[in-house]
Formats: sequence, structure tokens, C-alpha cells
Amino acid sequence: MIYQLSVPAAVPSVEEIRILEWHKVPGEQTEPGDVIVEFETHKAVIEIRAAQPGVLREILAAAGDWRKVGVPVAYFSSLPDEELSVGSEGTSPMSVEFEVT
Amino acid sequence: MTGIRSNEPDAIGRLRVMMLIRAFETALAMRRDHGFQLLSTGQEAVAAGLCAALRDDDQMLTGGRSIGLALARGIDPRRLMAELLGKVDGPNRGKGGRGHLADPGAGFFGAHAVVGGNISIAAGVALAKKLDRDGGIVAVVFGDGACGAGSLHETLNIAAIWKLPLLFVCDNNQLSVSTPRAEVLAPKKLSDLGAAFGLSAQTVDGTDVETVAQAAMALLEGVRRGDGPAFLECISHRFAAHSTTARELRDAAELARIRGTCPIVREATRLRAAGVIDADLHDALEQDALADVSAAFAFADASPYPDAGEVLADVG
Amino acid sequence: MFYREAFARALREEMTRSPRLIVIGQDVGAFGGSYREFDGLYRQFGPERVRDTPVAEGATIGIGIGAAAAGYRTLVSITYMDFMMLGLDALVNYGAKLRYKTAGALTSPVVVKTTAGALGQGVAHSQCLESWLMSVPGLTVVAPSTPADAYGFLKAALRADGPVVYIDHKRLFPIPGDVPLEESLLPFGQALVRRAGTDVTIATHSYMVRVALDAADQLEGIGISCEVIDLRCLAPLDMATVADSVARTGALLTLEEGQTTCGVGAEVTARVYERIGAHRWARVGALRAPVSSNPVLEAACLPNAENVSEAVSRLLRK
Repeated sequence: MIYQLSVPAAVPSVEEIRILEWHKVPGEQTEPGDVIVEFETHKAVIEIRAAQPGVLREILAAAGDWRKVGVPVAYFSSLPDEELSVGSEGTSPMSVEFEVT
Repeated sequence: MTGIRSNEPDAIGRLRVMMLIRAFETALAMRRDHGFQLLSTGQEAVAAGLCAALRDDDQMLTGGRSIGLALARGIDPRRLMAELLGKVDGPNRGKGGRGHLADPGAGFFGAHAVVGGNISIAAGVALAKKLDRDGGIVAVVFGDGACGAGSLHETLNIAAIWKLPLLFVCDNNQLSVSTPRAEVLAPKKLSDLGAAFGLSAQTVDGTDVETVAQAAMALLEGVRRGDGPAFLECISHRFAAHSTTARELRDAAELARIRGTCPIVREATRLRAAGVIDADLHDALEQDALADVSAAFAFADASPYPDAGEVLADVG
Repeated sequence: MFYREAFARALREEMTRSPRLIVIGQDVGAFGGSYREFDGLYRQFGPERVRDTPVAEGATIGIGIGAAAAGYRTLVSITYMDFMMLGLDALVNYGAKLRYKTAGALTSPVVVKTTAGALGQGVAHSQCLESWLMSVPGLTVVAPSTPADAYGFLKAALRADGPVVYIDHKRLFPIPGDVPLEESLLPFGQALVRRAGTDVTIATHSYMVRVALDAADQLEGIGISCEVIDLRCLAPLDMATVADSVARTGALLTLEEGQTTCGVGAEVTARVYERIGAHRWARVGALRAPVSSNPVLEAACLPNAENVSEAVSRLLRK
């Protein structure tokens, strides 16, 4: 199963965020509760934590890049060597929790 | 002829300044074109005493009752009169008049005609002096009328917290236009307003120039040392109405009583009794004052008005 | 970068360049400002130059004006434009008049920076009052709508030789934008065409520039081409740019978040008339009511892309 992590609508009136820092690298296993990435808004930092297990497969935006809410920024998979199909049929949203600090 | 500097430590100098103020304001009030003036007749000891404690690199700000203070600070009476008449040879080319007269080079950062409006400005100037570390201080003079204004209380607080080199001087002539001080201001002494914020604060007899000078110098020691702001209240009496167009509300008997507290008579009497001056010198001082005023008025009368085209100059 | 970062960058550059530049206001020190626009400055420049004040807008503005008049250029931060009113005596009666009343002997290079606009915070925390200030001789008034303009105009304001009111907007802080790599200043009195068009001129400023651009996108879909002009500077106004545009399009719609009565639009419209004579015109602004924190009522009170589009359509049908 391929999972897609998109920028959540975490903060009212924020339509675009800046990637602050990735806390996982491609190939790394992620468990529920792990911090995956931090996003920066005009006022605060959003900490994205996994709410399901998965393997980070591909990062689509680097630290310092700007992305709008709803845009995908990374792919995860259940198994480490699943094929990443191009085209998002068969991908589900990655389940995450976020905390605004 | 230059303005008289009242930072001369000697008493004759202070008497001379008071006489100049009295002669100047009396002659001004008698002119048909006196304009809208706030005079300090009867309050000369506050101006002369305070300025005796100021140095060249200090700055002074005042409210609208500025003439006596400006003369005491050393502004040239000729230029001052030109400013009052709206002539170009005034320090502000006649554009400020009495209410906004400014000569920062002479240590008179300026008058401002809004009651209480110059107090926070003065704290800003004091902040600049503190950052400059040039040892200079700022004195801001206001009346009892300003003591109910929020600007005073807000500024006392910030000046105290930031330890600004600022002397708050309340020239309390006990009337705000027609309103007696006791009817509208709650503190027992107006210097209590300063004390409430932790300032060194004193209330003194504003009709005794020696007392005012001593008190100002004593409070300024702490201010100059970096202890923070201080508050000096001088209780004085206004001989005339609030302004040259305001109605007088006091009756003849009360006015006679008030004139009995004249600071000039008091000081002259004291100095004669102490042998510091004699009758001849006393007369000479009075004649000097009249001559200075005469020269000042002649200079101002001869000075031209600005061209009407100047109406759009210096807007910013 | 974020709007706040552009602001902070300009301020940092100017504070580095000029040791006699100080900042005073509520929460500007270690807290870094209510919008984080002063982030890092306290750490870099220290408590002498970045000073927190108590809640005392009147004295704060007066102290900033006095310090500036005495040689220390001051940026005074007033968190809400609604409370700038408390300092209008010092700003208007002293600051704006100082150069004139002293015939140039003194002037006060102060920047009063304040945040306008509605964002759910209620009737006394939502106002846009810039039109009140435009008529004061001696005051420069600027309202940047992008991070690049926030940067360029703040630098210019901090080098001006008289008082400047610098107005940002709550809704602009989340919107990022590109900022020039090299140090640069923007000139006062120069508007900018944000979107070229042929059928109508929309003259606007601050957050309403975003609303105008959204409306222009919608109108393009029905074949109406809008020219959107960001006024940027409200005093002095760049009427040449606006009038040239209206001479081409034949129609002027002014858009502001504040009141239209005696508003920015009233002034712009009158001045376009003075320059080029009759043309179609309309003013759009807030409804004549206080702006409540109630989400339904706030939304009903303020211009949005839909009602601006409708206003343009109505204007062009006349």
C-alpha cells in the first residue's frame, strides 16, 4: 500500500507553508508517534507525527521549499520494496497527527 | 546683546532675569498688537530658579506659558519678540509663536501649546540624552492644569522604569484657566504624583527664587548621577488672567493679596537687607531690564514678516 | 519569505547600518513581536535598542517622537491600529507639525508601525483607519501589501526625515512572497500595477489587493479584463499612475477594507476627476457598521472577491 503525505490544513488562514526540517530519510521505517517533518507557518511550527507505521520512500519537497495546503510532499509504503506507481490510484492518505508549537 | 544666561550661580543674576521677564511681559501686554499670550507675571522665580540649575548641554521643554522660561533659559529677547510678532527674525521665522517657540541650540528644545502634550516628548529627548551618555538632562515644565492628563502619568511611569534623566517641574499657580487646583486634582501635593512612581519629589515655595534654585539643583544631582527622574513642584501665583484674552475671575482684594507675594520684591528686599545690592544697583538693574525690552521690541518691530509664499515651506 | 521575515530583514539591516535606530513598543523584545516580526532583534541588538513598553500608547508614541527629534530615529510598534488613536495627539499635534512650527529647526524621523484589519478579533481590534491620516500635512502614510514591499518601504521609512505611519495587515502575515536579494529601497508616492487590464481600473491597497486580484481572476472568466493598481503609498498618492490607467479603461473602482465615507477611495476618485474629468466610478469598502468578531457578521461587513466582482459588473453595465 502506498501512502501520500500532504500538507494538512492545520492552522486557520494558512494556505502555504515552508518545509522546515525532515526528521526521516528515504528508506527509514516510521512508527506511530515518530516526528516525520516540521512545517513553518508565518507564526508557528507544525510538527507532523506518524499515526500509522510505514516506510518513507520519497521526499517531494526539500527543507526551505514552499508548498500549499493539500499538496503532496512525501510517499510512504507499508513494505520497504513495494513498487511506487506513478499516478495516485491506489494511494491512500498517510495518517498523521500534527501539533502546532 | 545676547540673552541673559541664568546659569550664573549668583543671586544678582537671578534677580536680573526676573526683572527682565517682568518688564518684557508687562510691556508686551500693553501693546495693542499683543496677540494671544499666556504670561507668567508673578511666577518669575520658578523660571529663574530652575534655569539657574541648568547647564548648557541640558534641554528644556515647556507648555504654552513659555515666555518667562525662554528668557530665563537665555533666548535672545530680540529674537523672542520677533517670534511673538510673527517676524522672520524669530528662532522659528515667526511660524511657531509663543506656543511653539523652539531654539534647541540654546537648550530650549521647545514650547508646545497642548496642555500636557510636551511631557512624553520630553521623555523621548531624555531617552536620547541617556543613550548619548553626554551627561545632559532634560527639564519639562508644565502647570497644575496638566496634572490630570494621562500623558503625565504614563510618562512618569516609563521615565521611572527606564531611569530617564528627566526633571518634571510643575509650576503650580493653582489655577487652570478658571479652575482652582483643589477642585479637580485629588493628591494632597502634586509632587505626590511623582512620589507614587518612586521619583525623588519635592514641593517648594515657588515665590522664592533661592528656594527654587536650591531645590532644583539638589534634585538634579540625582538625575545627573543616573538615579532616574525627579519631580519638583513649585507653588506660585499668577498675577493676571490665564491669557491676554481670558476673563479674570478673582476679585480686587484677592488680587492685591496675591501681588503681595511678588517674587521680585521679595528677592530684592532680601538682597538689599543682606547688603548684596544697594539702591543704586537695584535701580540700575531695573533700568537695564527696561532698556533690554525696549531694544527687543524695536528689533522685532523692524523685522519683516515672512512672504506669504512661505505658507507651504517646511511642511515635510 | 514570510511577510514578517521581510520586515525583520529590513529592520535588521537598518539597525546594523545606523546605531542610532531604536525600537520601542509592547512585546517587541524577547517575545519578538505579536506577529514575530521582531524575531531575533532583541538577541542581536539588546535591551538598550529594543525596548518593551507598558500598555501606554500615548506616551510610547510621544517618547518615540521626542527621541527621534533629538537624534535617535525610532520605530514605534503599535500592535493594533485601533490603539494608534491613543497617540494621535503626539503624532498629529506635535510630530506632524514639528518641522513646520520650528521652521525646520527640528524634525522627527519616527516610524509608527501598526497592524490594521479584521481577523475575528472584534469591534475594537479590527479597524482600518489609514484614511484618517492621509489628510494630515507632514505625515507620510504607507501600506505595503507584499513581503517585497514590506521590506522596501520599511527601509525607506527608516531613512525618511519626517514621521511615517507604516501600516501592515493581519491577513498579510501568512502570505509569503519573493523579496529582492540585494538591499534596496522603494520610493514613496509610487503605485504599482499588479495586473494589467483594459476594461476597468481597480485602485486598492493592503490586503484588499489580494481580494482585487481574486476578483480579477473571477471576472476574467466572464470576459472582463481588470487592471489592478496597488496604491502602496497613501500619502503621498501616486495619482499619475491611477489617472493614466483610468484614461485607458474608462472606469474606476476603488476598493478598501475601511469605510468609504471620507475614505481612501473618495480621495482617489476626486483626484482622478481633477486630472481627467468624467468617467465611470464606484467605491467599495466595508459596510457602515463596526466589524464584529462574529464570523457571519464580519464576513457580511467586509468586501470579498464575490462582491467586488459584482460591483465591477454593475459598474460596467451602467
